[in-house]
Amino acid sequence: MISVLTLLAFLGCDEFVTVDTPNSQLTGSAVFEDSNTANAAMAAIYAKLRDDGFLSGSAGGSTAVLGMYVDELVYYGGTDENIFPFFSNNLLATNALVSQQWNTSYHQIYCANAVIEGCENSTALSNADKNQFIGEALFVRALVHGYLVGVYGDVPYIISTDYATNRLEERMPVADVFEMMINDLERAVTLLPDAYVSPERVRPNRSTASALLARMYMYAGQWAEASNAASAVINNSLYTWEDDIDAVFLKESSTTIWQFSPKLEGNNTDEGELFIFESGPPPYIGLSSELFNSFATNDLRKTHWVAAISDGTTTWYHAHKYKQQSNTGTSLEYSIIFRLSEQYLIRAEARARQGELSSAKEDLNKVRQLAGLASTTAVTADEIVAAVMLERRHELFTEYGHRFFDLKRNGFINTVLPQVKPGWNTTDQFWPLPENELLVNPNLTQNPGY
Amino acid sequence: MNKFSLFPLWAALPLPKLFSIFLFFCITVGYTQTVTVTGSTSDASGVLAGVTIQVKDKAQGTLSDELGNYTLSVLPTDTLVFSFVGYKTVEVAVGNQYVFNVVLQEDTTQLREVIVNAGYYTVKEKERTSSISSISANDIEKQPVTNLLATMQGRMAGVDIRQDSGSPGGGFSIKIRGQNSLRADGNEPLYIINGVPYSSETIGAISTSGFSPSLTSPLNSINPSDIESIEVLKDADATAIYGSRGANGVVLITTKKGKAGATSFTVNSSTSFGTVTRLPKLMNTQQYLAMRELAFANDGVTTYPSYAYDVNGTWDRNRYTNWQKEFIGGTANITNVQASVFGGSSQTKYLLSGTYRNETTVYPGDFNYKKGAAHFSMDHKSVDEKFTLTFSGTYSSQKNNQPTVNLTAISRTLSPNAPAIYDEEGNLNWEDSTWDNPLAVLQSKFTSKTKDLVANTLLSYTIFKNTSLKSSFGYSDLTNNELNAQPSTIYNPAYGVGSEISFLSTNLTNRTSWIAEPQLHWHASTGKGKVEALVGSTFQQQKTNRLYINGYGFASNSLLNDLASASLKTVDLSDETIYKYQAFFARLNYTYDNRYIVNVTGRRDGSSRFGPGKQFATFGAVGAAWLFSKESFLADNSVLSFGKLRASYGTTGNDQIGDYQFLDTYASSGTNYEGTIGLDPTRLFNPAFGWETSKKFEVAVETGYFNDRIFLTAAYYRNRSSNQLVGIPLPGTTGFPSLNGNLDATVQNSGLELTLRTVNFQRKNFDWTTNFNISASRNKLISYPGLEGSTYANLYVVGEPTSIIKIYHYTGMSSATGAYEFEDLNGDGIITAAGDRKAVADLNPKFFGGLQNQFKYKNLQLDFLFQFVKQQAFSSINGVPGLAINQLATVSDAENQQPFTAGGNSALTTAYSRYVRSDAAIEDASYVRLKNISLTYDLPLLRHQKIQCQLYLQGQNLLTFTKYKSGDPETKFTNVLPPLKVFTVGTKLTF
Repeated sequence: MISVLTLLAFLGCDEFVTVDTPNSQLTGSAVFEDSNTANAAMAAIYAKLRDDGFLSGSAGGSTAVLGMYVDELVYYGGTDENIFPFFSNNLLATNALVSQQWNTSYHQIYCANAVIEGCENSTALSNADKNQFIGEALFVRALVHGYLVGVYGDVPYIISTDYATNRLEERMPVADVFEMMINDLERAVTLLPDAYVSPERVRPNRSTASALLARMYMYAGQWAEASNAASAVINNSLYTWEDDIDAVFLKESSTTIWQFSPKLEGNNTDEGELFIFESGPPPYIGLSSELFNSFATNDLRKTHWVAAISDGTTTWYHAHKYKQQSNTGTSLEYSIIFRLSEQYLIRAEARARQGELSSAKEDLNKVRQLAGLASTTAVTADEIVAAVMLERRHELFTEYGHRFFDLKRNGFINTVLPQVKPGWNTTDQFWPLPENELLVNPNLTQNPGY
Repeated sequence: MNKFSLFPLWAALPLPKLFSIFLFFCITVGYTQTVTVTGSTSDASGVLAGVTIQVKDKAQGTLSDELGNYTLSVLPTDTLVFSFVGYKTVEVAVGNQYVFNVVLQEDTTQLREVIVNAGYYTVKEKERTSSISSISANDIEKQPVTNLLATMQGRMAGVDIRQDSGSPGGGFSIKIRGQNSLRADGNEPLYIINGVPYSSETIGAISTSGFSPSLTSPLNSINPSDIESIEVLKDADATAIYGSRGANGVVLITTKKGKAGATSFTVNSSTSFGTVTRLPKLMNTQQYLAMRELAFANDGVTTYPSYAYDVNGTWDRNRYTNWQKEFIGGTANITNVQASVFGGSSQTKYLLSGTYRNETTVYPGDFNYKKGAAHFSMDHKSVDEKFTLTFSGTYSSQKNNQPTVNLTAISRTLSPNAPAIYDEEGNLNWEDSTWDNPLAVLQSKFTSKTKDLVANTLLSYTIFKNTSLKSSFGYSDLTNNELNAQPSTIYNPAYGVGSEISFLSTNLTNRTSWIAEPQLHWHASTGKGKVEALVGSTFQQQKTNRLYINGYGFASNSLLNDLASASLKTVDLSDETIYKYQAFFARLNYTYDNRYIVNVTGRRDGSSRFGPGKQFATFGAVGAAWLFSKESFLADNSVLSFGKLRASYGTTGNDQIGDYQFLDTYASSGTNYEGTIGLDPTRLFNPAFGWETSKKFEVAVETGYFNDRIFLTAAYYRNRSSNQLVGIPLPGTTGFPSLNGNLDATVQNSGLELTLRTVNFQRKNFDWTTNFNISASRNKLISYPGLEGSTYANLYVVGEPTSIIKIYHYTGMSSATGAYEFEDLNGDGIITAAGDRKAVADLNPKFFGGLQNQFKYKNLQLDFLFQFVKQQAFSSINGVPGLAINQLATVSDAENQQPFTAGGNSALTTAYSRYVRSDAAIEDASYVRLKNISLTYDLPLLRHQKIQCQLYLQGQNLLTFTKYKSGDPETKFTNVLPPLKVFTVGTKLTF
C-alpha cells in the first residue's frame, strides 16, 4: 500500500492542472510592451480619478465633501450617513469615507507607479510613448498626493509598487511632501508634450502639469515660481480668454486646461447630477446662504453659476456652473479640473505677494471683468491679496475644495469657520488618519484631536 | 401464469438465452410443491414497508410494499427471515401455513449495522474509525425549510450553522469544528452531491443584487426533500481522502433512490406562515423627540437647524409609526407541493419526484421566491450482480424577486415621527422633499433566476470475485441570470429627472463542471483478518463564465426590463475562469477479528490555483479503532453492550483562494475613458504561495449500555493549521487591501463533542427516544513568530483565539463632561485604537448543541428540537444617540448614559465610537430556541384501501429564550432580517 502511495506521489501530471491566463487579462509585463495596452492602463487611471477619490464629482468627492466641511455647502440628507459628519465637522477615525478616500488615493498612486515602472522596464515602447505615459503618471502621482497632504497633513509619499516598503512608510512632513510633488511635476513638465494627445483636452499636457505646479508653488509660498508656472500656462496660445460667462463650463471652453472624459457617451458631469434640484428644500445638498450673500449684487456669477429655487416663502440655492444633470445624447459639459481663471488668480496673488501690484491687479481684474464687476479698488499688497481671496471664493466655489485649502493656507480657517460651523474645532483643519491604517502600520501616528 | 402466452416472446429472443430461460422454466415447473405465502409486516406503530423477506440460505426474497404487504413463493421446508435495519430479525418456518403477519421489534443495537457513507467508500457504523455525523430524510422532512444547511442546525455535534438572513434565498454560514483559516472566505466545507463536488461559491454581482439577499448561495438549488441523507465528515481519517479540499470538513449529500416493489405514488403538500422571530424594542415618538431636544440643548443649539425636520416642527411631532412593523412585520406565505413516484424490481429501481415551492416575504410589496425541482434516480444491476449502474439527476429552477434595499436597517433607524409613506391618493409621499421616501426604492426590481443541473452516473463492474472497477462521472451546469431595474421614479421628484436616467444592470453567470473518478476496489479475508483497499484518481474541471451588462437611459420606464431599449450599454465584465484539479487517492483498511481496525487513506492533489512548482501536495491519515466490548472480559457484560475506542491523525489542505491568484496581471476595467476601455492591475503580485496544511487529531469513545438503549459518543479533537494561506492585510499605502501569501503561524482548534442517544420507552404503543449533542470548541493562536512587526499585530494575540476582537476597557463616565471614559492602557494620556484597544472579547460560541425528543403513540408522532448556543454579542449600534436616528427604547434612560449630542460635540461622538467597541457594549446573546417541532398523525385507514394519509403540523423557530435585548440572537443586531418563525400545516398521501 505504501508503495502504491509513493508511486502515486510521483504521478502528478502537471499539464492537466496548468491553466492559461484568462482571456480578459494580460500579464503585467505584456501591458507595457504595446502602446495601446499601456495607453489603456493610463486610461484606467483617469477613469478611476473621475469616478472615485478626491476628484470625483459625486457625493464622496472633494467638491462635495470639502464644500460641506467649510461654509460652501449645506447638507440636507439624513444624519445616518457617513457624509453628515463632514458637514457637522465631527469626523471620526472610523468614518468609512475618511478611510475610503485614503485607500482610493493610494490605489490611484499605485496604478501611476505601476505605469512608471512598467514603462521604465519596457523594451518595446517608443521613447515618445514612454515620456508621455511617465509624464502623465508623475502628474497623477503629484496631483493625488496633493489632496492627501491637503486634508490629512503629513502623509507618506509613495513612489514605488513595492509593498514591503510601502507597508511601513512613515508620515512625511508637509514641506517634504511639497518638495516631492514639485519634483515630480517639474519632471512631468519636461516629459509631457505641449500639445494634447487627443482632441478634447481630456489628457494632461505640459501646461496641465504647469498649472498644478503653479498651484503647488503657491501653496508652498514660492511666489516667483508660482508666478512663472502660471505664466507658462497663460502664455500658451492654446488657451484664449472666454468672454461669455455661460461658455466657461462647456466642454469646448477655450479656458479649459484639463477635463474628464465622461464614462458614457452623452453623459455630462457628476457635479450637475449631484447639485441640481428643481424644487425646495434641497433633497441632498444646497449652496449655503453665506456664500450666496457674499456675492456682490451685480456679480454675474451669482445669477449664472448659482440657481435660486423658491417655494414662495423660502429660497434655496444650488451650484449651477454645470447646467446638465443627465445624459444629453451628445455631451455638453465635462468636469473641468484645471481652468485658466485659477491661473490668473494664482499669478495675481503671487505678483501681489512679490510687490508687483499693478500687474497683480491686472490679473485680478481679468477675472472680475468676466463676472461683470468693476476693477478692484484694492491698493496695498495686503488688500490685493484679500481681494484675490474673495475672488477665489466666488470664482472657484464647488471646484475640488479650493475654499478649504485657501482658508487653511492663509491661517483663517479657525477664525472664519467657528462663526458659521458650530461643531468646528481647531484640530478639524486636518482629517483623522483612518483608524484601520494605524492598526496595520505601526509607523503611522494620528492627527491631534482624534 | 399462462406459460404458453410466453411463446411468441421467445421467438424474438436470441438462441442461447432462449435455452437458458427454457432450462429455468423447466426447473421452476419441476418443483410442484411450491406454495405462495402472503402477509404483512408492521412494527409497534403500524405498517412497516420495505422489510426484507428472505428465504434462509437461498437467493429467493422480496420486500414488503408501501402497505407492508408481500407475496412470495416458497417450499414448506423453507424458513422465512424478516429483517429491517434497526429492528430485530425474525425467523419463521413455513410449514403448512400460508399467511405470516409479522410484527418486528425495534432493536437499538441494530443501529450499529447501519451503513454510513464515507464518500469513496461505505463503512458499517460499528466499524467506523472516523468521525462522521449524519442526518437522514426522516429528520429533514420534518423541517419546513428551503436550504439544506438549515436542516442540519442543532442536530450535529461540532457543526456550527447560522442563518445569515431571514430573507428568502439568503444564505447560511457553516463552520465544522471551528474556523481553521484566517481568511474569512476560506472556511467553506467541500460539498459533494452523489459524488460530484458542488461549488458553494456565491454567484451573481453585488452591483446587480445590491443589498438583498446579498449574493445568491448555490446551495439553495439543492432541494431538501430530495435528500436521503447528509453526512458530515469531520476528522482526518474521514477527510484526508479529500486531500486539499478536506480541511474544513466535507458535506456529503445523497439524494433519494427508488425502492423495489409495486409502483407507489406520494403527494405531499403544505402551507406555511412565517413572521420575524424577534425584534428589538425601539423608541416611540415621545421618547425619540425628548432625546433629540436634549441633544440639541446639550450642544447649545437653541434654534433647530432648517434640515432637522423631525424636531423643528416640519414633521408632525405627534405622529408615530412602528417602522419595524410597517417594513418587516408582514407574514410570509409558503406553499410547498411535492409528488413522487417510485418502484421497480430487485434489478431495476427508479424514482421520479417533482417539487414546487413558493414563498412570499414579510416585506410590504409583491416579492416572492419560487423554486421548482425535478429529481430522477435509477439503479440497475445485472442478473449476475456483477454490473451495477446508478444514475441520478436533479434539475432545479429558482426565481427570486426581492427588494433592493435593506428594509430591516431602515426600519430601525428611521425617525418614529417620519411622514407617511403614501399620500391620500396612494402615491409615494415625498413630504416636500424633506425625506427620501424609503419605499421609493421598492419601485426598482431585482430578479434572480437560477437554473441548476446536477447529474451523476456510477458504473461498477466486478472483475474478479474480490475486485471491482468503479467509475463515477458527474456533470453540473448552473446558470444564474440577474436583473436589477432602477426606474427614475425611485428618485425624489425635486431632482426633476425622467427615464433618461433609468438604469438596468444585468449579469449572467454560468458555471459548469465535470468530474471523472475511476477507482479500483478490492477486498479479501484471511482467517480472522479482513482487508479492503481502493485506489482511484480524480480529474475535475470547472469553468465559470460571467457577463455583466448595464443599460442606461430608456425612452420610458415601461421599457426598463429590456436591455435592447437602453440608449447606452456598457459591458462591465466578460470573463471566463477555469479551475482544474487532479488527484490520486487510496485507502487501505484492515480489520482483525472484528475487533481491531486500521484505516489508512492518502491523496496526492494538484490544483490550478497554484503557480508552477507549487501545484502538487500530498495528504494522508491513519485511523484506528478497537471494539473493546468484544474482548472476552466484557463479552457478556450485562450493562455495557458496545464499546469502541477510536483515534485518527492526519493532514488535509485548503485551496480556497480563488483562481489565477498567482498571476501578475492587468484585467479589463470595463470602464471607458476617451473611448478606451482601461486595464487595471488586479492584485499585488506574490507567485510564491502554496498549499496550506491542517493536521487533525481525534480520539473518541463510543459506548452503548443496556442493549444500546443508552448510546454515548464522546470525542476530543485538536486541529492545527499551519502555513496558512491568507490575504495578509496591508495598509492602504500599498495600493491594495491585502496580499496572498502563506503565514508562518499555527492556529489550533480543539474541542469536545458529546452525543447521547437514549431510548427512554419502548412499548407496543408508546416510544420515546432522546438525542442530545453538545460541542465546545476553542480556537487558539499557538505561535506566530514576528506577530509584533506584522500587520496582524493589532488583531491577534498569541495564546488567544483568532476570532477575538480587541476592545477598549470602559471605566465609567467623566465626572466633568459625562462622556464615556476608557482605560488608558499605555498611559500616554490619550486613547488610541493601537495603544489602548487591547482588551479581548471572543464572540464565537462557547458551546452549542441540540436536544431532540421523539414520541410515538399509536398513530401519532411528536418530535421537537431545542437548539442552544452560549455566546456573547455586541448590543445595538445604531449611531450616536441624539442624531436623527431611532434608538433602542432603553436609550431614553438618559441618566445612565453620556449626554446626547445632535452632532455638535466631537468629544461625545468620539467617546461613543469607542464605547461601541468596548466591553460595555458586549452583552450575553446566549439563547435556547425551539428550532423545530413536528406533530404527525397517520389516519387509521383500512389496509385494503391501499392508501395512507398523514397529516402534520410543523414549526420552525417557534420559541426563543434569550436575554439579548437587541433583537434576534442568531442574526444579532446586524440589521439583516432575523430568521422567520414558521408554522406549517400539511398532508402526505401515499397510494
